Amino acid sequence: MKVMFQVNDKDIQDIDTTILYTPSFNYNEDAVYFINNNCLVITKDSSPQSYDISDDLYKLFKEEDLKSKSDLSKIDEIKLQILSSLNSDKEVFVFFNVLTYLDKPFKEKIISYLKTNNKRIINYTTQIEETLLLDYLIVIHNNSVIMEGKKELVLQEEKIINKLGFNLPFIVELSNNLKLYGLVNKTYYNNQELVDDLWK
Amino acid sequence: MEIANIIESKPKSNIYGLVGNINLTSNNKNYNIITDTKFNSTVKEYLNSPKDTSSLKMALLKDEILTKKSSELSIGDLKKVSLAKALIENKEYIVLDYFDKELTDKEKSYFKRLWKKLTVDYKKTIIIFTNDITSLWDIAKEIILIDKNKVSYTIKEEAYTKVLDLFDKAEITKFIELIQAKGIDMKYYYESNELLKAIYRLKENG
Repeated sequence: MKVMFQVNDKDIQDIDTTILYTPSFNYNEDAVYFINNNCLVITKDSSPQSYDISDDLYKLFKEEDLKSKSDLSKIDEIKLQILSSLNSDKEVFVFFNVLTYLDKPFKEKIISYLKTNNKRIINYTTQIEETLLLDYLIVIHNNSVIMEGKKELVLQEEKIINKLGFNLPFIVELSNNLKLYGLVNKTYYNNQELVDDLWK
Repeated sequence: MEIANIIESKPKSNIYGLVGNINLTSNNKNYNIITDTKFNSTVKEYLNSPKDTSSLKMALLKDEILTKKSSELSIGDLKKVSLAKALIENKEYIVLDYFDKELTDKEKSYFKRLWKKLTVDYKKTIIIFTNDITSLWDIAKEIILIDKNKVSYTIKEEAYTKVLDLFDKAEITKFIELIQAKGIDMKYYYESNELLKAIYRLKENG
C-alpha cells in the first residue's frame, strides 16, 4: 500500500477505505480537500442541476422509475447523484455519510460496480455496519485518528470501539459471542459463511 | 409531504415510526422538524433562551458549542442543536428527520430513552422518520409506510415481524432468514442475545 492522500493528518492509503467517525466530526474540510484533488465527492447536500444517466444504468440498478419522477425526495437525489457519477473518469469516489440513506441492495451494487470498474472508494460513515463494506478502516474521534488498519484487525478492538460509543457490527458481535459458547472458533464478517459453518 | 396530514388522526403522546421515500414538510405551528438546519448566528443567539444550556444537555451537547456558528458544526451537531431548539419551543409534535444517521450506537440508545420520557412525562408526540426499521421496532407504537405520497400501510407493533418483507431488513432478520433457509425452525428475534441463546439451544439439541 502507498499513501494516496494526506488530508488533515490522515494518511489515506491506496486501498478501499471506510472512515468511521464520531458525530461531532465536521467533514467539510475533508470534502474540499478531495474536490481539490480531483476526486468525485458525494455529500447529502450536493444537488446537481441535471443528471446524465444512461438507460442501461437505470436498468442495471432497477431505478427506471427515477427517470421520469418529478417530486424528488432527498434519497432520490442521492441516488441520482451517484448514478450520474458512475461513468465519470475520476478514479477516486468519496462518499460523505450518504450510503447510510440507501437501501442495502442499492448500496452493495454501487460498491460492486465501482470495484469492478477499478475505482478507489473512500466512505465516511457513522454507521458501524458499513465498516464491513470495504477493506481498510480508519476510526476518527475529535478530529484525530484513533485506530487504523485492515478492518478485521481494527474490529478486534472492541473496548475502544465501545468507548467511542459504537457497537461491533452484528455479525462480528454474534460470532464473537458464539466463540465464547464454543460453537465457532473464529470471528465472521459474512452472515452466510457463519450460517454455513454452524449448520454444515 | 405535510406531516400533520399523516399524524393528526393518531392518538397523541406516542412514538410513531415513518418510513417512505418522501420529503417531510410542516406548515403547522404545533410541529418541529428536527433536521440539520443552518443559521446565520451563534448557537446561543439561535437558541435565544435562558434554557439553552439545559436543552443542549438533553440533546447531548456541551455548553462550549454556544459560541459556535453553524458553519463550524458537524451535521450531527446541527441536528442536535435543532433538537435543543425544539425542546425550548416546547411544541406538541417532534418530527425526527433521519436523526439517527449521525449518531453513535450509544447515542441512539440514549435518545430512545429520551423519546420515551418526552411522551410519558411531557406528553409529546414523537415521529421518527427513518429507513432503519431496527431503530423503530422496540420503541414505535405504529409504523406508517408512505408510498407515492400516500399512507400505504399502518403496522401495529404486534405485527412488525409479519411484514418484514416490506422493509430493508435488519441484519438480525437477514441472519435468521438464512438459518430458516436451511430448513431450521427458528423464530424471529429483535435482540442478538436472544438469538444467541436460541442458536445455543438448537445446537445443544442437535
